[in-house]
Amino acid sequence: MRISVEQRLRRPRWLTVVVPVGSVVFAFLVAAVVLVATGHNPVSTYRQLFDAAFLQNQSIDQTLIVATPLAFMGLAAAAAFRMKLYNIGAEGQMYMGAIFGAAAGLYFGGRGGPAPFPIAAMVVAGMAGGAAWALISGVLRAFFKTNEILTSLLLNYVAGYILTYLIFESESYWRQTKGFNASVFPTGKPLPHSAVWPGWTLHVQGGLTFPLGAFLAVAAAIVLWVLYKLTRFGFEATVLGDSPRAARYAGVRMRRKVLAVMGVSGAIAGLGGASQIGDFSHSLDGDPNGLQKIGYGYTGIVVAALGRYNPFAVVLIAFLLGGLENAGNTLQGPDFPAGLVGVIQGIILFSALGGEILSRHRIRVERRTKRVPAAPARAPEPAA
Amino acid sequence: MKRRKLALATLLVVIGAIALVFAGAGAGRTNASAFKVAWIYVGPHNDGGWSQAHDDGRLYVQKMLGSKVATTYKENIAVGSQFNQTVASLAAQGYKMIFATSYGMITKQLAAKYPNILFEQATGTDLSKNLAEYFGRAEDTIFLSGMAAGYASKTGKLGDVLAFPIPEVVRHANAFALGAQYAHPGATVRVVWTHSWFNPAAEKKAAQSLAAAGADVIGQNVDSPAAGQFAESKGLPWVGYDSDASKFAPKSWLTASVYDWGVYYLKRVKEAMAGTWKSGFYYGTINDGFTKLAPYGPGVSAAAKAKIAAVEKKMKNGTFYEFQGPLTDQAGKVRVAKGVKMDVLKGGTNSLYGMNWFVKGVIGSPKG
Amino acid sequence: MNNSLLVVLVASGVAYGTPLLYAALGELLAERSGVLNLGVEGMMLVGAVMGFWTVQRVHANSGITLTLAILVAAVAGTVMSAIHAFLVITLRANQIVSGLALTIFAGAVGLSSYLGNDFNLADVPASHTFHALLPSGMQSLPVVGPILFGQDILVYISWLCVIAVGLYLSRTRPGLNLRAVGEAPAAADTMGINVTAYRYAHTLAGGAFAGVAGATVTLAITPQWVNGITGGAGWIAIALVIFAFWRPELCLVGAYFFGALQALAPQLQARNINLGPTVLWTSSLPYVMTILVLVVVSSGTARRRLGAPAALGVPYVREEH
Repeated sequence: MRISVEQRLRRPRWLTVVVPVGSVVFAFLVAAVVLVATGHNPVSTYRQLFDAAFLQNQSIDQTLIVATPLAFMGLAAAAAFRMKLYNIGAEGQMYMGAIFGAAAGLYFGGRGGPAPFPIAAMVVAGMAGGAAWALISGVLRAFFKTNEILTSLLLNYVAGYILTYLIFESESYWRQTKGFNASVFPTGKPLPHSAVWPGWTLHVQGGLTFPLGAFLAVAAAIVLWVLYKLTRFGFEATVLGDSPRAARYAGVRMRRKVLAVMGVSGAIAGLGGASQIGDFSHSLDGDPNGLQKIGYGYTGIVVAALGRYNPFAVVLIAFLLGGLENAGNTLQGPDFPAGLVGVIQGIILFSALGGEILSRHRIRVERRTKRVPAAPARAPEPAA
Repeated sequence: MKRRKLALATLLVVIGAIALVFAGAGAGRTNASAFKVAWIYVGPHNDGGWSQAHDDGRLYVQKMLGSKVATTYKENIAVGSQFNQTVASLAAQGYKMIFATSYGMITKQLAAKYPNILFEQATGTDLSKNLAEYFGRAEDTIFLSGMAAGYASKTGKLGDVLAFPIPEVVRHANAFALGAQYAHPGATVRVVWTHSWFNPAAEKKAAQSLAAAGADVIGQNVDSPAAGQFAESKGLPWVGYDSDASKFAPKSWLTASVYDWGVYYLKRVKEAMAGTWKSGFYYGTINDGFTKLAPYGPGVSAAAKAKIAAVEKKMKNGTFYEFQGPLTDQAGKVRVAKGVKMDVLKGGTNSLYGMNWFVKGVIGSPKG
Repeated sequence: MNNSLLVVLVASGVAYGTPLLYAALGELLAERSGVLNLGVEGMMLVGAVMGFWTVQRVHANSGITLTLAILVAAVAGTVMSAIHAFLVITLRANQIVSGLALTIFAGAVGLSSYLGNDFNLADVPASHTFHALLPSGMQSLPVVGPILFGQDILVYISWLCVIAVGLYLSRTRPGLNLRAVGEAPAAADTMGINVTAYRYAHTLAGGAFAGVAGATVTLAITPQWVNGITGGAGWIAIALVIFAFWRPELCLVGAYFFGALQALAPQLQARNINLGPTVLWTSSLPYVMTILVLVVVSSGTARRRLGAPAALGVPYVREEH
């Protein structure tokens, strides 16, 4: 018996929606089995999850705090993966964006000047920092053909160590050195007030604040969509991803594209890093158990994959997955099975991956006793 | 066409059913009138060290007050935005009192954001109307544990595995060294920093490097028993920290300075429930049972036990204080004059909370 | 002499490098067949937790329990890799995303944490651990004592594995076939080699090795269970395979080098040798060096000779006529 996977000729449209949704449902079902097997009640667990993610007081507010960086990371991954450039360095590019953004905020915020300027400076600096870090992998790929998957992954670690060094192992510009508290534990210098990013608060659910970063993420999604759908740049990038040879024949400059796409991807991730500082932490967080332990960059890749690299889908999924993560954080404690969030996320992704394949291929099970060698047959054999 | 619609419809029905289940969200499981108190830990609640000791305190409160309180904990919460998020979600769930067990977690601004919640922070200094600080004289019992280490050392060369170069850790290391020197005059304590409160691999490597550099007793101010496991494998005596971790190294275990947070927690929770809670700076002592020595291991001789007990008695009746001058730093300069007692907060770098220099006999940099 | 910095570093390098070596050997096999598995960290953690669980729950003598624990860890790792294998080999899903999904699923925020919590494994020392195998007389011999004779049996077995894998790759028929599978699967297919079977077998083997690597951490190096105890070793192992040009003997050298780097900072501290921000550069050095190696390996002519399997990361689709 042989299982063979064959490409479908036409991809039915309804599968495009059913597959991602179906894989989420499937994932929850599988996770429910795991829960039952280990003595937990899946229904009440899921109800708690949903509650904590979206229904409770301030839960959407909390979800947004997680969803914003996830959106940035997802968009960064989507921007590159679309061109089959596997930038998994969004995590490190985020750190570099945070470092550069914090520097700009500390510098320009302290010098006064009209209100939006320090924030604009942080945005630009964050993007520059992330882009620069991504371009290391980009240059190595464009000029030395070095695999960007591995270089970008390895650079994540280097970026992390630099981040920790700036706060924990040196008296750098970013480190708070004044005041009694500073001598008691290594912390980052707090951003001056004019550099703190604003948020817009709705008075529902006990206060729902949309941080500036959330709007910037949506803006980035729009820009990315326009870039890929409507510009020549985007068209060429997509062609390059689908068929490098065809693109080269058409005169697309491979190297420039690689650099440009990596730059865009890194810039978005860097903006996410600046948002972390400006919206949320208000100082550079170098604690290895802080920002570096959460792993937004890696989860962002999951988000991008689930959203099939469509910017708007990515933002939506970032919100949903953000809810899941937020719920996991909220619920963790003596009564809630630890590690459940990762298990569910993993299964969702596995199902989505599998489902994705199913939407593009059909699985056929054939009864054969021997493998047929691929020798050319004189007469076409009837399909078995 | 039909098949497509059928599949879509089925999916929608399934989703709808699930949504209904969630929508029928019942009330929470907890007793609505119970007083909700939460603890926030910087490490795992069962780290066998710092966070575990706090959790033991929480369990004590839960035990003593039964259904009148609903306690919970959040573990592995880092200082910063993750902490703020945690507080926000606890506030949304109706928690009225929060104990944050690591430095820097609660700031005055954060406490001001939630005026109806009582905050207590361990090892910090900020105070406000709804923010209190608590810690205690671990240095007293660390001194005693240092004595045990000093008696157990044959060469007078000891090692100490330390976390972050901050005053809390520096004064604990100093207390350990002073105790060792009291028991074994001229003893030296070599220190290695792991830059983490809890990192078993790093702590083992630190202990290894200390042993390779000649230490014959290992001490620590970090939260996992990894250094002790290493000490056990090499037959070196070991002094732990935070809790009784003797099961990890039954032969090497000497003792450790342990915190009993439960007594303080119970007192404060009761006050909060009764409405008599007031902010303040609590610095527990060996007398109120805040800190004590863990049970001794086989390597502590009867003579050592007797001498340690004698000093402990003097500490309790106030006639002995380890941070009383003359205290000399590593460069030989006398920092605290004879007879002067170091205060907890007052005195800049000569206060307990500001101490950033090592006493003579400690080998290593207090800056990390 | 045995406490000199160099001897201590090399001995530590061997000890701390052993989990890296096991994981790298496994990943090497998978990658040689053309499958990139980024889920090594997750597989290691699951192997670590299941190995530890075995030791805590099985009540037999040390030898039997520890052997069983290693086997359980290997099986656990294999099961994890089977998910990845099915997705990327049969369903031809994107290998990077699948590997990352495996890390999230099984790693420190996923299954391994769930199992560790559910089985209540934390805060209890391992009931049995691997100790140094040879008598202490041999261990105190100058230089070779601590480095060669002071290690536990997992280290010695890893040496055998390096030799075995090396011989397999260079001297056996399946090993040579493997090279074809990784470089040019279409050609291998026409030669009658079952590409799918090879990829499955080697990916699963990679999982088994990763599981054992994880168990090495929780049963030999730091014998306790803590969530995420491998601390990123899986990623270093992936880097290590490249650093070693996909050759088993270089994996050993690289693993011990990376292991020694990990031990370097505390050793320097303890001896009061101040070389500036040592934590920063000793931690970053393995990664930076690997990047440099990657650049060298990828450039033109070097590529052919130095070993990156050409079809690494590309799903194999057999064209049907």
